[in-house]
Amino acid sequence: MIGALPLAAIPPEDEALRPEIRDFLRETVPVIPPERRARSWMGFDADFSRKLAERGWLGLTFPKEYGGAGRGPFARYVLAEELLASGAPVSAHWIADRQSGPLIHRFGTEEQRRFYLPRICRAEAFFCIGMSEPNTGSDLASVTTRAVRDRDGWRLNGAKIWTTNAHRSHYMIALVRTSGTPQDRHKGLSQVIVDLKAPGVRISPIRDLAGDAHFSEVVFEDVVLPADALIGEESSGWMQVNAELAFERSGPERVLSSAVLLDTWAQWLREAGAHQAAETLLGRLIAHLAVLRAMSIAVTSRLVEGESPVVEAALVKDLGTEFEQLIPTVIADILASPGQVAPGPLMRTLAYTTAMAPSFSLRGGTREILRGMIARGMGLR
Amino acid sequence: MDGLLFRSAEELFTRHATPEAVRAIRAGGPASALWGEIEASGFLEALVPEEAGGAGIGPPEILPVLLAAGRFALPLPIAETMLARAALVATGETPPEGAIALAEPAGEHMARLAPGQPADWVLLPQGETALLLPWDKAEPDTDASSALADLLRWPAGTGRSLACPDLLAAGAWAEVAIMAGAMERILEDTVRHARDRQQFGRPIAAFQAIQQQISVLTEDVFASRMAAQLASVPDGKGIAGLNPTRIATAKLRVGEAAVRVCAIAHAVHGAMGITEELDLHLLTARLQVGRMRFGGEAHWAHWLGRQFLAGDLTETLAFVRAHLGPVAPEATA
Ligand SMILES: Cc1cc2nc3c(=O)[nH]c(=O)nc-3n(C[C@H](O)[C@H](O)[C@H](O)COP(=O)(O)OP(=O)(O)OC[C@H]3O[C@@H](n4cnc5c(N)ncnc54)[C@H](O)[C@@H]3O)c2cc1C
Repeated sequence: MIGALPLAAIPPEDEALRPEIRDFLRETVPVIPPERRARSWMGFDADFSRKLAERGWLGLTFPKEYGGAGRGPFARYVLAEELLASGAPVSAHWIADRQSGPLIHRFGTEEQRRFYLPRICRAEAFFCIGMSEPNTGSDLASVTTRAVRDRDGWRLNGAKIWTTNAHRSHYMIALVRTSGTPQDRHKGLSQVIVDLKAPGVRISPIRDLAGDAHFSEVVFEDVVLPADALIGEESSGWMQVNAELAFERSGPERVLSSAVLLDTWAQWLREAGAHQAAETLLGRLIAHLAVLRAMSIAVTSRLVEGESPVVEAALVKDLGTEFEQLIPTVIADILASPGQVAPGPLMRTLAYTTAMAPSFSLRGGTREILRGMIARGMGLR
Repeated sequence: MDGLLFRSAEELFTRHATPEAVRAIRAGGPASALWGEIEASGFLEALVPEEAGGAGIGPPEILPVLLAAGRFALPLPIAETMLARAALVATGETPPEGAIALAEPAGEHMARLAPGQPADWVLLPQGETALLLPWDKAEPDTDASSALADLLRWPAGTGRSLACPDLLAAGAWAEVAIMAGAMERILEDTVRHARDRQQFGRPIAAFQAIQQQISVLTEDVFASRMAAQLASVPDGKGIAGLNPTRIATAKLRVGEAAVRVCAIAHAVHGAMGITEELDLHLLTARLQVGRMRFGGEAHWAHWLGRQFLAGDLTETLAFVRAHLGPVAPEATA
């Protein structure tokens, strides 16, 4: 059984970051139409990421000696909340800032930290994550992409798929097999950094159902990697990947993916007038948001205290993505009154969010996999 | 502090609010023994300020005691008496001895109350005032009563009118706390049953369909506990600092959870869960009653939606941060 989550608050020194961030966003983001802001952390704009970097808002949690701000996870929490709620296009640096950077900091060598972290903070190094493969989805331990020792370094062969931003990133952190066979499962897996400009890397963007191309297939043919491509210990890839996933599952990303739609609709209600059913629906969504946010903050505070609340994080992600999927479903229903004409930008925002909503409970571990983790936490398996 | 209170409440209820005792009181038996123990514990003075002779502790600190009451499906108005005493003291009244049930108005001198939950007094809100009515002068309206609510009527002119606002939201807070506690017990019982019950040669917990359902149950129970905690942050103008915006949020979230929690718990328990013998129905019945007391999901959702639209904050996250954060706004400044 898992213990209850006590209320936790964002520390005042981190909360103090918020006004400056909000001022900046008020100047830069409203010019973007809502249907583009609805892309949330899938909206790519390298220039915008560089502007954030100039403000010192990339790598907030990295130590100062590596170009970061030496702040705790709650500083990043405040920043992420404001960026996502406003619909700022943050995708270019998001993975590096949230996942790859912290991974390199935690498991990398001193040289790797000195090389990559300052570049991430300057928005000069964008990262992608190569876990999934054509035949490896939820069953991540079945990866077959293989790196074999070759002179001083490694030689890489295989393929990754669904890799967000592979075609517009500088580096991939790939989960690969360095020994054994797929039957050995999580033994023999390691993480390597791949320079995506290296010879033998072929990247083909995949168009999604909304017409965007944010993810790619990446094929490796005899790609030569230097010895220092390995991150952390050889054969520790499985443990490292799981440490990484626990961190990304409970943040505001898992609550706010439909925030732009919710706020665009609420704004229209303010302007055009709301009937009782719409007011009721709005109240219901706000209540869910409030409770989820408190849960997400409570899990973050456990992470800050050095615990590893894997099950609690899975719980927040499953509930959070359900909420994110509820928003377009119920707003579509309420806008479907005969004779009512909602404005085009609102309808386009709804159309985009509706189309992409199924992905919310796939990326980062599917709903069924998360529920399996919760069941294990409850002692059922 | 709250760990201590929770443990002493759990101890008290384990000893005196056994399933047999709960069933006997629900069936109309005497409640004085159990009530005497609760009175002796001092919990009932929790929300009365120290200068008025109370314990002067706030909703967040007393919440664990109410969660414990919910876990035992306690058929006595413990939260309601706490709130009524605090409300009466705030108006300069000396609360009468005994249990005070909070009622919802249901017409002229008519009160709607939780069924099978006896008290000595009823505090019946009437807009900005409330009537304090003696239980033993009430006539039950058996035709209007059901397993979801008891209706009581008093002869015209009974009771005293007191200046006591905010009771409806306070009553909703009490339900939130009791329901969140009941759900925690339901989760524990459901997990235990899934591991004990064997079918097809294995515990039913081994089936993925059961695992997934109990995971959903777990999520709702955690969310409800969080909602109850959020509702207890004392940054409002109500009794003991209760804040209706927080209570609206929690009552509707907990009400939604109760529906799923009852459905899943019963599904997992199978036919056994439909029996009088198993305690499960004491808890699920309490949830069904609580869901309908002091405003359901639609009532509070509508209230909250209007609250948002009437305010200046146009972003939902900004509204949540300002009114529904994990701490009182002053503390984050
Ligand atoms: C927008 C988007 C971006 C993504 N970005 C990346 C990225 O940057 N890098 C990356 O590596 N991957 C990425 N992914 C891939 C993502 O991680 C996978 O989609 C996910 O792990 C599920 O794998 P799959 O799609 O192959 O589905 P499958 O694993 O084939 O699952 C299909 C269905 O079967 C169910 N299922 C599978 N196994 C079980 C089981 N044991 N018990 C019960 N049900 C089961 C699943 O829950 C699901 O419902 C992205 C996906 C999306 C949608």
